[in-house]
Amino acid sequence: MTLAGDARTLTDISVDLAPQRPGRLLVRTPFLAAAGCLGYGVEGEGQVPLDRFGAIVTRGVTLAPRSGSPPPRMAEVPSGLLHAIGLPGPGIEAVLERYAPRWLAWSVPVILSLCAAEAVDFGSLAQRADGVPGVAALELDLASPDLARGGRPLSLDPTLAADATAAARAATELPILVKLSPAATDLRALARALVEAGADALTCTGAMPALAMDPRGGGPLLGSAAAALSGPALRPISLRVVSEVRRAVSEPIVGCGGVSGLPDALEYLAAGADAVAIGTAALADPALPARLGDELAAHGPVARPGVTDRRRQPRTPHAARPR
Amino acid sequence: MHFRGLGPPGSLPLRRPVAIAGIDRKRGEVTLHLPSTDAATPWLAMRRAGDRADPIGPLGRPLAIEPRTHHLLLIAEGLSVPPLGPLTEAAIATGRRVALLLGARSAAEVYPSSLLPDELEYVVATQDGSLGHRGSVVDLVPAYEAWADQAVASGGPALLERVAHLARGRDARLGVACLGRRTARRGRRTGRVTRRSWLSVVLEQRVGCALGVCLGCVVPGASGPVRVCREGPAFRADELAWEESA
Repeated sequence: MTLAGDARTLTDISVDLAPQRPGRLLVRTPFLAAAGCLGYGVEGEGQVPLDRFGAIVTRGVTLAPRSGSPPPRMAEVPSGLLHAIGLPGPGIEAVLERYAPRWLAWSVPVILSLCAAEAVDFGSLAQRADGVPGVAALELDLASPDLARGGRPLSLDPTLAADATAAARAATELPILVKLSPAATDLRALARALVEAGADALTCTGAMPALAMDPRGGGPLLGSAAAALSGPALRPISLRVVSEVRRAVSEPIVGCGGVSGLPDALEYLAAGADAVAIGTAALADPALPARLGDELAAHGPVARPGVTDRRRQPRTPHAARPR
Repeated sequence: MHFRGLGPPGSLPLRRPVAIAGIDRKRGEVTLHLPSTDAATPWLAMRRAGDRADPIGPLGRPLAIEPRTHHLLLIAEGLSVPPLGPLTEAAIATGRRVALLLGARSAAEVYPSSLLPDELEYVVATQDGSLGHRGSVVDLVPAYEAWADQAVASGGPALLERVAHLARGRDARLGVACLGRRTARRGRRTGRVTRRSWLSVVLEQRVGCALGVCLGCVVPGASGPVRVCREGPAFRADELAWEESA
């Protein structure tokens, strides 16, 4: 029972990010920790109010152990953060063995972020995560330039992106979010292809491939060429992606890029996002996703646009579902 | 030395690591020195008593004086003196002798001696020769390497590389290497507290989350990458992988 006073001021802000999946993916607030910014979540245990987050997306997990990019890995640029971390980690087997039992004990859903160079590898990754208690959903990172061939994230090619999604879909019944690159073009076709291949929700977007040079002539500022830009500078770019994708598909969208306060999050919701992931801002303020949940509950509901571009809507059960 | 992140204003996405330059336990105060070269710190410098700055910290691993140290050598450049403050105070308070070798581009950038304890021996080198020795602060180190039982360097990567290179050769030059190294190796296996490497370094580097999560601040360590915000910012020189060219 909620007190009458609470009911007047606090809105239910929970969202289902995978209404088509048997297990669904109900998040109690639409504010997620974006991949990479809270590690595997366990690092923030006890220090960050994780139970007040909507969900936690883990650091990108790969099939084999990786040591990551050579330093320097980060540089602050105007209104943004350039990073080339390089997906360091012990590989999916070790991650699941070490952390999944702890995730299981939490009330907050943990979304495992998966990274691979080849579309088929997403199938292998999803297969390993399938049925592991503690893993609530998967996010296929098709935006990261780290493993991309020739610096081309998989989501720049709708066919490859759909193959990766289909490979993961074939391996698991877990909810699947697919993360798009802000550099992707033909967004509506891409979004439809991903949904048709089995994506339950789309994360828009990952970081923008970018570069910073040493002005003193020392070459690139970061140790790896696979650098990408996050933070406030990314927001208008990702917002447009959200808006485009929303025109094409009715599946839930997680907006991601440069959110550092409620007004930024409201922009994403107004553009058609159902949830918002916090990345760079969580580095400076790890409790931000929890606080945004409180602020949105006090703010009240947000009008959200629907699908407008129905002409080329594929005939799938997803698309036929009334909202 | 401790590490402290302070909330940046506006659109600078990252917090700033600021070294604690002094600790006054009686008054419950810490001293921070803020570089005017960083866009985020003038805002911080303008805060008044009672303002809130939302710091996280203290963070990271501090510098420590070895129990057997009598003579402590400090090597710094430009704005990198503040991280050495608490160590200097502690060394002087326990009756140790401390020398600070400071490098700067010109006399205008030399750290003011009025902010340093009177007991400190202060030797300055400037690139343009406008104060003290003309040239690099590293030129001054050999004269002190036999005197000092322990050395700490704070500054940019180029300075640390050169000092680390000097330090590697020191034991051999002084003929005290063998015993010390062997003890140190045995100590690592048994976990006993034994002789540590002569040189420690403080890395000055922007860090991401400062909590050890984002892995943005790693540097190559002797056995794999290490995080400046968590394993550092103070390292023993033998914990880091130095470039061979240095």
